[in-house]
Amino acid sequence: MHSLLRQTQRLHCLAPGGAMLIHTTATQRTFWEREKKSGYKTKLPEPSKKQLIVDGFRELKQEIKLWRQEVEEHLVSDPILVFRPGETDVVFDFKAPDALDKWTVTTDSDHGEGKSSATLELSASGAGLFHGEVNSEHTKDGIIKRTGYANIRTKRVRKSFKRESTYDWTQYNMLVMKVRGDGRSYLINLHTEGYFDIMWNDIYHYVLFTRGGPHWQIAKIPFSKFFYSSKGRVQDRQGPIQLNRVTHFGFSVAAKKGMDGPFGLEIDYVGLEYDPSHREEFAYEMYKTQKYIAAT
Amino acid sequence: MIRRMNCLMRLHGIYPNALCQRHAPANNRNYANQTGTPDDERAAGGNQQNSKNRTGGGGSKSLPVVRNPFTAAQEKTKGSYLTMVEIFAGRDVHRRNHVEFIYAALKHMAEFGVENDLEVYKALINVMPKGKFIPTNLFQSEFMHYPKQQQCIIDLLEQMEDNGVMPDYEMEAMLLNVFGKKGHPLRKYWRMMYWMPKFKNLSPWPLPDHVPDDTLEIAKLAVKRMCTVDLRSQVSVYETKNVKDAVDDTWIVSGMSAEQSKLLREHSQKKALYIEGPFLIWIRNRRINYFTLRADPDLELLASLDEQERQIDQDDVTNIEVPFFGRPPPRRHNQLGKVRSVHQQEDGTIFAICATGTSTKDSLLSWIRLLEANGNAALGGIPVLFRFTSTVPAKAVEIEGASEVPVPSDSRSKQNVRKSKIVKFNLI
Repeated sequence: MHSLLRQTQRLHCLAPGGAMLIHTTATQRTFWEREKKSGYKTKLPEPSKKQLIVDGFRELKQEIKLWRQEVEEHLVSDPILVFRPGETDVVFDFKAPDALDKWTVTTDSDHGEGKSSATLELSASGAGLFHGEVNSEHTKDGIIKRTGYANIRTKRVRKSFKRESTYDWTQYNMLVMKVRGDGRSYLINLHTEGYFDIMWNDIYHYVLFTRGGPHWQIAKIPFSKFFYSSKGRVQDRQGPIQLNRVTHFGFSVAAKKGMDGPFGLEIDYVGLEYDPSHREEFAYEMYKTQKYIAAT
Repeated sequence: MIRRMNCLMRLHGIYPNALCQRHAPANNRNYANQTGTPDDERAAGGNQQNSKNRTGGGGSKSLPVVRNPFTAAQEKTKGSYLTMVEIFAGRDVHRRNHVEFIYAALKHMAEFGVENDLEVYKALINVMPKGKFIPTNLFQSEFMHYPKQQQCIIDLLEQMEDNGVMPDYEMEAMLLNVFGKKGHPLRKYWRMMYWMPKFKNLSPWPLPDHVPDDTLEIAKLAVKRMCTVDLRSQVSVYETKNVKDAVDDTWIVSGMSAEQSKLLREHSQKKALYIEGPFLIWIRNRRINYFTLRADPDLELLASLDEQERQIDQDDVTNIEVPFFGRPPPRRHNQLGKVRSVHQQEDGTIFAICATGTSTKDSLLSWIRLLEANGNAALGGIPVLFRFTSTVPAKAVEIEGASEVPVPSDSRSKQNVRKSKIVKFNLI
């Protein structure tokens, strides 16, 4: 909604003295979005043409290497078809080298909308430590209603030559995480970014409750518990997550209800598991609603 | 069009109304920004400044008194809040500016301490006139009939959601009376009633509805929560009064299980223990510092366990041992491996957790002494070292700051006086 307001504001700037638009409510006139960041894309200075060529060739080398791997994998054709129950397959291992390069940290202060700060680094025990401080204070500009969040997200999964792809987790039904938290609850985000602009912000959420204390905790969360939302609003038309469409994975933390202050989540690994005893497809009832009531 | 004309007529004071006559009629009263009426003044307990204004400006040409009844209220309680809402509802048959009134009321809820009270939210919805905003045809219901009013109640419901207040069925009836069954607030209400009960009791570590303000109670909750890792954990509260040589007079909440005691007994006397901290734990919106007693990891045990695991791993076909040549493999029978305890983590063995009232070195020393006295005699022979992540004062006196005159450590009476001050410190 903020982005929409921003866009409308920009429009007003472009055409001063045009038709007076008095907004009683923040109405959404169109679904169309210019880009995936919904008005939050910061323009970064572009490197020189020469630099671009040099970088391009440097990356080309790696991309060809990646492509070669893909071809080899395709020719060997040895896919895992049977996933044995009780075995955790680690997807994001923080003890692996260059584990931190896969993640992006964002906070509300990135766009001058808040005062939170966060970093992701290796902890003393060698695991990933997502820590910082969330702050719900913000400049009262009349647009932003509330702030105070920090977020980490993996980079978009891709194939060689910068082609976007998705994870395929259809064989699994559990998310397994070894974490050590601070008693706060964190939000687990599974992004299933689609092709059309209306699907760009599709995220499936669930809560990660942390015990706190010095002991590690293994959290097993079935994928059936994840609920669908878009731009932070839980959607009326729900459905189980399509596990072959997962594009990003991430955690969020918010300063809600007076929980301003430091936070720390230590993550050892995030893995997947197939549990045959878990037969649930979707944890939430799918009531049939009256016409023109749901999703309006 | 007719409605618009009506509004204009009302604005220009054509309808006789006692309140409109008192004030400049064409002034749009906005409760969110400084506005008020004499009725509200009465509710607010008669502000002196206002009574002055009333005598000075009543009936004259001067501008009306603008004042927010919610900021001017002297007694900020639920009772006075509800009285103000009642006065507003009962003052005028038209209930002009009720949207502004509700927004102002929502804004000031926290001051009155009613932001978690369902009754208050219901009283605010009750301000809305019944039956007036119900759409009568398809177009009205499709294009958000009375958008300001609907958005106002949606915002109210959102505030309830933010504060974790779950609506009830009476509220549904009220909203139906106001907006009809196609109203957008109703949709919001149904969403809330679908999702909120699902998330309300989701946490595996449930907490009381109102987390206590007392630091000791929070410390107990925190240590209990951390100790859920081992079902045999015992949480005990000690007083440092009885400890010999203790400077601080405070409490210590300590959590330790039988298994940890056993590990401590088996711990080598040559290897030091560390008191580490302060670490932070959140109990909903309260945070508290805690300390741990731990040792470096038992690498031998962990390595042997790893080996066992490797032996068990039957999938590994990369290195199959041929039993015909070389040394015979060790016999598996009569071999009992050690079971790894949950407290033996890769980054250390945890023996106990505590939170103290002062979080000082002195109170931590008292904790070790108390542990030793309460069934962990082995602690007497093991060196215990401090390893702090941030500066921890030696005594409670140092917390007060450098500007204070240093107090001799034996003046126990002064310490007692300051206890209440110090206890708050732990909460940050």
